[in-house]
Amino acid sequence: MAIPAVRFSRVNKSFGQVKAVNDVNLDLHPGETVALLGPNGAGKSTTLDLLLGLRNADSGTVEVFGTTPARAIAQGKVGAMLQSGGLMEEVKVRELVKLACDLHPKAYPVQQVLEHAGITEIADRMVNKLSGGQEQRVRFALATAGANDLIILDEPTTGMDVTVRQSFWATMRQQAAQGRTVLFATHYLEEADAIADRVIVLHRGRVLADGSAAEIKAKAGARRIVFDLDGEVDEAALRGLPFLTALSVSGRTVRIQSTDADATTHAVYGLGLYPRNLEVAGLGLEQAFIAITDAATAEEAAR
Amino acid sequence: MNTLASGALIKLEITRSLRNKKFMFFTVIYPVALFLLISSSSSKADMIPHSHLSTQLYYMVGMASFGALTAVLMGNSERIAKEREKGWVRQLRLTALPGHGYVISKIASMATVTLPAIVIVELVAALAKGVDLAAWQWAALTFSIWAGSMVFAALGVAIGYTASGDAVRPITMIIYFALSILGGLWMPFTVFPQWLQNIAKWLPTYAYAGLGHAIEQGDAPHLRDILLLVAYLLVFAGGAAWLYRKDTLKA
Repeated sequence: MAIPAVRFSRVNKSFGQVKAVNDVNLDLHPGETVALLGPNGAGKSTTLDLLLGLRNADSGTVEVFGTTPARAIAQGKVGAMLQSGGLMEEVKVRELVKLACDLHPKAYPVQQVLEHAGITEIADRMVNKLSGGQEQRVRFALATAGANDLIILDEPTTGMDVTVRQSFWATMRQQAAQGRTVLFATHYLEEADAIADRVIVLHRGRVLADGSAAEIKAKAGARRIVFDLDGEVDEAALRGLPFLTALSVSGRTVRIQSTDADATTHAVYGLGLYPRNLEVAGLGLEQAFIAITDAATAEEAAR
Repeated sequence: MNTLASGALIKLEITRSLRNKKFMFFTVIYPVALFLLISSSSSKADMIPHSHLSTQLYYMVGMASFGALTAVLMGNSERIAKEREKGWVRQLRLTALPGHGYVISKIASMATVTLPAIVIVELVAALAKGVDLAAWQWAALTFSIWAGSMVFAALGVAIGYTASGDAVRPITMIIYFALSILGGLWMPFTVFPQWLQNIAKWLPTYAYAGLGHAIEQGDAPHLRDILLLVAYLLVFAGGAAWLYRKDTLKA
């Protein structure tokens, strides 16, 4: 088994009474593109800080390529783009990117980094005169100044317009295709859905769900079945359907959420019903995500 | 590789300092203005009591040292505290740059602006105030005031890391005034009571002023002063490098 790119073993981190990271175990494997999802305050940023050695865990160990985060960074294995990461002022964009290249043990040529980040045209501007989206691209350039094996991105597309966002993810996919591990935290759930081959849902410092986007959706009962019935609707019978997680009936229209749409639909016919206008659709990750975190909040409240 | 990396940052920091015209101007003008102001009260022939030093010479060394100290201490602590708040230091910590590379680059960028400040005070003193020294004394004075100021540049880095936000300026000011006055940069040290002199003798500013005053009198700087300054430099720079690595302040 290859060394994991990232390994969290029973990691805890508290700020006063708040457990920002609560007993997290996590392995990221080389070549994975992983989305870190969670509402505000879920512990995403703290998790990334621990991973980068900007903070130390209260207990447990964080390893990056089998060593400490600081050492992995010194070896040029990690590139990161943080929300809280600022830029040096009073210098030109090109000078700053050149600095990042000079500091990187496995640097790319400056011109190439500028091109990939789409900042060739603003290379001679002063850093403190940039717009938010431009700043974000400069940050991206700093994070990808060299051949990193692991790329960490904290809400990278904040402030980018749609075109830039698309070209950004195209570059990121390229990186992943070259066998790099990409971990990104995001608020844009469709991004996680479209880009990540693994989604980790964090909630109150714990890993709530971990799997492919499809698995996460399934976990939340994330297929929706809608059909109309002729005649009386027997709600009690419908409630007994297998794999059903939610049911709502309005008039003759039945809406069901199911973790196994195939089996549930089959059972509808098994009841001797004849559903018309049958539709089976996947829920977006967003609804799945809300369903999972809501369930966890309710569970905690019940305790 | 790491040395090379530090070199890149040093170069960029120097470029930045030179580009910052306002900061340059202030740093260069301030010590000269102070020197002219303070020395105007005494004539070219005045002597420091109980010594064979001219008042003008004494003030020249004091103000050149004081000006350099002001620039590096204020310049570094405030700029670094600001960089920390903006998150640049966080970003920099995600590179392979070692902690000492950061501290050295900050000291180097300050050293580029203090050298012209020192030279200009000396020029004004020589041309307008009739200060007359041997060639070796000019060279030695320039070098020792310049090199000595790096101790305070390191202190500035350390302060920039210890304090943040609104606290930086007052903390820097307190340290700055205490060090300048007690170290004898403003007035002859002998005006203090004995107990204060005993404490002041261990201050880096005392040793710093001592370098210049030894050269004024035609001596080589005292070994004690040099060792004391080197010790302070190691403590300040080492502390600053440690703080750089451990700082976890969030923006």
